[in-house]
Formats: sequence, structure tokens, C-alpha cells
Amino acid sequence: MSKKFSRRDFLKLAGAGAATTAVLTGCGPASRYVKREPYMQMPEYNYNGQSTYYATTCRECAAGCGLVVRTSQGRAIKTEGNPNNPLNLGKTCARGQATLHGLYNPDRITDPLKRDSRGSESTQVMDWESAIRVVADALKNNKPEEIAFLMGMAPDHLFDLASDLANATGINAPVRFGALSMFESRATLSKAAKNLFGETSLPFFDVARAQVVFSFGANFLETWLSPVSYTRGFAGLREALTKRRGTFVQFESRMSATAGKADEWIPLRPGSEALVALAIGRLASELRGGPISRAFSSVDVLEVASKSGIKLETLEHLAGVFANSSGALAIPGGAALGQSNGLAVAEAVLALNAISDNFGKPGGVYFSALAPNQTEYQGPASAKEMRELVQKMYDGKIKVLFVHGVNPLFELPTSLEFGGASKYVSQIISFATFPDETAREADYVFPDHHGLESWGYQRVATGSAQPVLSGAQPVVSPYYNTRAAADVLITAAQLAGGKFAQALPFKDEVEFLQSKVASLMSEADGSISAPDILTFMASFQQYGGYWKLSDTRGIPNTVEVLNRNFSAQEAEFRGEGEFFFVPFVSPTLAEAGANKPWLQELPDPTTTVMWNTWVEMNPVTAHELGIENDDVVKIVSEAGELEAAVYVYPAIRPDTIAIPFGQGHTAYGRYAEKRGVNPVDLLGQHFNEAGDLAFAGMKVKVEKTGKKKPLSRLESLMGVYGIGLGEE
Amino acid sequence: MFKRIFDWLKQPLGLIAVGIAFLGLFSIAAYGLYMTQQPPEQPIQFPHQTHIAFGIQCLYCHPGAAKGPSAGIPSSAKCWACHNQIAKTQTSVLLAPLKQAVESGSPIEWVPVAIVPDFVQFNHRAHIAAGKNCEECHGDMSKVTIAENPQLMNMGWCLNCHVRTAGDDHEILVKLTDCGTCHY
Repeated sequence: MSKKFSRRDFLKLAGAGAATTAVLTGCGPASRYVKREPYMQMPEYNYNGQSTYYATTCRECAAGCGLVVRTSQGRAIKTEGNPNNPLNLGKTCARGQATLHGLYNPDRITDPLKRDSRGSESTQVMDWESAIRVVADALKNNKPEEIAFLMGMAPDHLFDLASDLANATGINAPVRFGALSMFESRATLSKAAKNLFGETSLPFFDVARAQVVFSFGANFLETWLSPVSYTRGFAGLREALTKRRGTFVQFESRMSATAGKADEWIPLRPGSEALVALAIGRLASELRGGPISRAFSSVDVLEVASKSGIKLETLEHLAGVFANSSGALAIPGGAALGQSNGLAVAEAVLALNAISDNFGKPGGVYFSALAPNQTEYQGPASAKEMRELVQKMYDGKIKVLFVHGVNPLFELPTSLEFGGASKYVSQIISFATFPDETAREADYVFPDHHGLESWGYQRVATGSAQPVLSGAQPVVSPYYNTRAAADVLITAAQLAGGKFAQALPFKDEVEFLQSKVASLMSEADGSISAPDILTFMASFQQYGGYWKLSDTRGIPNTVEVLNRNFSAQEAEFRGEGEFFFVPFVSPTLAEAGANKPWLQELPDPTTTVMWNTWVEMNPVTAHELGIENDDVVKIVSEAGELEAAVYVYPAIRPDTIAIPFGQGHTAYGRYAEKRGVNPVDLLGQHFNEAGDLAFAGMKVKVEKTGKKKPLSRLESLMGVYGIGLGEE
Repeated sequence: MFKRIFDWLKQPLGLIAVGIAFLGLFSIAAYGLYMTQQPPEQPIQFPHQTHIAFGIQCLYCHPGAAKGPSAGIPSSAKCWACHNQIAKTQTSVLLAPLKQAVESGSPIEWVPVAIVPDFVQFNHRAHIAAGKNCEECHGDMSKVTIAENPQLMNMGWCLNCHVRTAGDDHEILVKLTDCGTCHY
């Protein structure tokens, strides 16, 4: 031991000692880390260690997919699709899977709250009795026409309840809105169907049995209308066991995840969609022989080629693909319709279907089947109708606003000034489950249960051949001191008395639900039937809803389609700037997914960016502007400006930039807040003829800021554009 | 100053002091390590022997053993069904956590005693169906307060019994010693 014990040796020894302690601590018996929490009162049908499964309906969007949730010891563990539900046949999307992150979200609102002042964080916890008194007083002490309901696209049973209340008492009819319906241009699609076929309905596109699908902006594999059902349809298009593998062509200025799946992506110039559709119609008609119908006769193909930036040969080739197929289908949707001439685009693309004469035929266009307890198509409010509501708020015509299932301060374009108008509303009562932007501006928040803790039903608007009413039931007991908004309204209406009590003469939400589905009990052709309501409800819950067994999709009346004149105009673009601006809904986050870490962590399908907002820019443009990956740029539109990092994306036109919608929350919990930017800040108040927002009808300026912000992405940049190879 | 302390420590008395201090530190470290290996305390010192003395069968409180993978711990409601009628429950210090759990509606957090790793798919039902009695694995519960493990529940112990049970029947031996029987 002549060797000196050095400082280094001492540190080594100390380190080894600490590591040993840490390892041994970690290697303690399993009982240190596990707790056994038995039931307080075990349900009879439960077995220890065995899961119980409940059928319910997904609330992450309004499509109404059926879920089967695995629960263990009273906790929801896993969601999967309900194989019985005709809409999704056992499948879900990522958002459906992540619904558990909403249920267990640490930022949920746990008690009824009274806010000290709008926009402030400080709140007082109330008891439900006084909360219900607040609602009852709001109903009783205001004129009916001064009371309004603003609701999300789901759930339908609550909308029905509010509608019944409104009809019986003279309250304003509830207004429904969702950013998804705005970005998928639902109003334009149904208006085009009305113009062409004389009936207001949501068209159903039978992708599964088509041979060739031309989609103009419809991102049906992401968020459009009913993504799970359309994804199944797409799988049917592609499978080649019983027929030839189908061909898919997507027309849009940036390659979306849907376009990424296409055989051909046609990056046409934004605004030229209607022209391209008519040109393909004309060329396809020529190829098929016979007279060219009036619809397509006026279009000049050469001019279209120059305006759209698509070569004449490409147009001819595409027309050939379309004309030579026995089952060609054309779908309009999304950004193609969200332009000043959106209605014309929708009509022109729908008219293309007349060439292949596929209306009401397999692989063609139908009217979506109406849900079992529905008599007519009910579309959500368009952006223009939302502006009318905002105007009423500004004019002081609305004293009380109830908000449920929608977050207008995040989802509506900032230029519509919902926030400014809300200052003229004396009382805002939110039923939000999460502390979102609108709940923060509400005087009271009376939190509804999470979707997995709730009763209800959702009418399937489109995506299924059969009429479907998806049923929802609680799969777990509510974790917090929340209460169903339906129960709050029913109890408050009873308390308010008079016509309010008469409008909702129910004991609770379940009794209301029973009253709404009771008529289905004895209807013919139903998936379930029962002699009494309790037996019927038991089956309704067990199977996750009620549906008809036969195909009741409507067949469009197409006599006049080809004899119409179609306007062959390009879209007009507002704002100064050299770039077309395309906001698109993030396929993973959509409008309400940002507070779920699973979805935040899920890489975007095309760029693999996570946890942030990016600006898609073509490498050529980026090079010209001297911009590199991760450089922060300022985007300036006529309505506003924002800053975000650039993602150099080869699959976008050089004259176009795109930003995903889904991030940029200023509230909504720890995972969503202060992350990315919200492209609706850039959108101006421009509408198309159907009242939908012309969200893709703007031009913007791009300015360098000199800042850099690395985006987290799954892909490696090594080797991309020579990075890391010494060539950059 | 420091030099004087070091000089003193080099004295025989000083060396003894250093030795005592070292032993003290060593004991604390050893105790710390020992504590990492101890399970936490049960919320209730549950007297199994008392319940068995009353003639209550194992499966009355742990019916899951005959029906499924997990024997289960009885719900508070089941405890309360009997204890509700026992006057002592209201005053007993030992039973205070039960009373508190029932009144507040929050579950009692028991510490597991017999536990296997997650990669073992243990199923009680098959063992009861094969005619095993509870005490063959869990020991004589009429002699213990809190349940104890009479043996280490490791794979060797499982396999010993599986091999013994199979006896000379080769077919059963294959089934009972196949990896996939427990690890799937």
C-alpha cells in the first residue's frame, strides 16, 4: 500500500458505491412498486385479473366510429374499433387510440368553476347545486332570444336535447361548428350536391369498389369526413384479389399524406382545380366519343394547361386514365373547395362523375344514408354562419352563451373576432372537459365528463352504406367531480320551471336517451329489436348502437348534370404576397389532439415533425430566399402574421407554402400550451358561395427573421440535400 | 489546525475513533441497502389465522382463484358485509383503515405478497382445477397473521412441481414444461 490513494481513486470508489446503491435500490422486491387496490364494490360480472369490455362511440371527431374499450378493475386500458359497427368495422385511427390520453389527462377540469375575471387563471370551485342554479337563472332571467348554444359536432344527443329545449322555449336554435368541418368544406360539398342533384345531402363516395379515383383536395385518408371508413375504402380500392388494383390520382398543390399514397400526385396551381376538372371532362368525353356535353364544351384545354401548370400531355394522359376505366370516381373536398370559387370546383368535379355514369352504382357517388332517428341532413354551421353568430354577439343580442364541445377561440379564424364579440355577451358558460382557450374566457366552467365516461349517441353522417346510430355509454365511472352537460341542462330546466321544465321532462340523461331511441325499438330491418325499452337499451349498449341492415344510400338525380353551364373561372386570391398559402389539418392532431402526448409524439406522416409547427417550403424557393431547414420565417397575410420554422419539403409547389393546423394553443393544458403557432391567425374573412371559409384563397409574404429553431423530427437529415456528406 | 487533528487521529485512541466512525458509517450504509430490499408495511395487519379459525374458506374471500387468473383481494364491501355487524369494528385501531376506506369510498392499498414478474402468465384456475390446494403453494395460513411466502416463487420451484405432477406421463410432462405454458 505504498501507492498513494489519489483524488481520482477516491472519486472512482465513491462513484462505484453510489452506482451499487442505486442498482440495489432499483432491484428491490416488486412489492415495493406495486399496489393492490381492490374494488370498493366489485361488479358481479367482473373476475379478478380479467378485463371487461364495453362498446361505446369515439368522441375525438364527429364521424361516430364505434369503439370497444378494454377495462380492468374499473380503469380504461385500451381502445379498439367495434367490429360490429358498420362504419368502422373494428378499426380506429390514431386519434381514437389516443382518447385514453384525454381521459387520464392531468389538466382536466375536475370541479365546476367560477372564474374571477375572464381570461384569468384564478377560479373558485363551486358545488354542483349552485352551478345548476347559475344555469337555471341564466335560462329564466333572460329573454329566450338572448340565449344561445354553441356546440361541437359531437355528441348528437346533446345537440338534440338543446334543440328540443330551443324549440319549446324560443331560445336560439343551437349552432354547431368544428374546425374540421371548416377545413373539409362540408357546406360547399352539400351545397354543390343540392345545386347538381336538387337535394341537400352529404355525398358518399364508394372508393372501395371504384377502379380509378381522382381526388381534388379531399384528404380522405387523414381527417376528411370519415377517415377510418374512407381508409377502409381505400384498402378496398387497392386490394387486387377479386378485381384489378385500383388507381388513385390526387390533385393538390402540396403532397398531403393522402397524396403520398397516390399513384400520381398532380401539383396543380392553386385556384385552377375547376378548370382542370372541366378540361379532364372535355378530354375524357372526346376519348369516349359522342357529342361533348354542354358542361364541358366551353372549356379551352390549352388555356387550362397554361393556367394550371399541368402539361397538355399530362392532362391527356389523365383523361385517358379516367375515360378508359369502367369505374372512375372523382371526389372534391378540402382545400380545393376552400377557395373563392369552391362551389364551382365542387360542382365541376362532381360533374366528372357523370362521364363514367357512376351515380348510385358500386364504385360511384351516392347520397349518404341518413341515420336511423334522422329525417333530413343537418350540416354544421359554415364559417359565414359563424360570422352571423359573432355579429349577433357584437350587437348585444346575445346575453347568455352556452359553449359545449367546441373551442371557437382556437378553431375560428382570429379575424372573425369571436374573442372581441364575446366581451359583449354578459354571461358565457362553458361545459369544457379541458381548460381550453374558450373555457378560459368563460365566466363559468361546468365540466362535462370525458367521452369515455359519458352516455350519448352519434349519428353517422357519412361513410356507411347502412344508417347507423352509434351508441355511447360510460366505460368507467367518472374520475372527477364532473357532471354530464345533459344532466346539468335537464336539472336546471326543472329548476327554472315553466316551459323549460315542460321542454325537458326527464329524470336524467339516460331517460332522455331512452325517449330518443324508443321509436327504433320496433322498427323493421333494425340490427336489434326488443319488446321493451330496458331490453332494447341493454342491446343498444352491448352492441354499441343501432343500425339498419340494408343499404339505404340515396341515388342522386343526375338528369341535368351534363346540361348545365359550369363557370370556368380561376379562384381569386386575397392579400399581397408571392406565395399561395395552404393551411391543412394535421392528420395526427386535428383540432383537439394537441393535449394528448401520444399524438404529439406521433410523427407527421409526411414530414415526421413532432411537437411543433412547421412551414413547408419547396427547396428551390428556400434556396432562392437563402433559407435553410429550421430557419424561422415570418409569414405575413392581410389578416395577421406568425413565425415558424421552415421544413424544406420537395413535395410542394415552389409558389406555395403550407402550415399545419393543430398547434399554437395558448391554453388547453401542459402538453398543448405554448407550442407552435396557429395558422388560423393568418386567415381573413373571405367566404365562398356556399359560406365556407376561403381558407386556401390567400396569398402571403415570407420574411426571413435570422432566427433558427430546430424542429424535432423522426427522420434523419443525414444525406438529405447532401447534409452530412460534405456537399452542403 | 487540520494538521493537529490528523496527528491526533494517528494516536492509538484516534485510530480507534476512526475505526468506530467507519463501522458506524458502514452499518448505516448496510442498513440503507437492507431497507431497499424490504417490502412496505401492509395498511392493515390482516390476521389470516383469526379468519380461518372462524371457519371461513379461502375461496370465500378469494373466489377469483377458482374462476380466473387472479385470486384477487376482497373488495371493501365484502369485508364490510361481516365487519359491519361486529361491534368491535367501530372501535378497533387495527380495523380503522377499513372503516375509513368504506366511509370515504377510497380503496385500501394492499402490498402484494405473492407476486410473479409480468412475463409470467400465472393462472390460478388451472391449478385449482388440477386439484391443488391453496396451502400447497401459499403455506398454512392458519398459522400466520399477514400472508407469507413459505418459499421463493421462482421458476425452478414452479418446474419442480410441474415435473413431479407429470410423473411418468410424457405427454403431460411436455405440456407442463413447455415454455409457452407460462410465457406467452
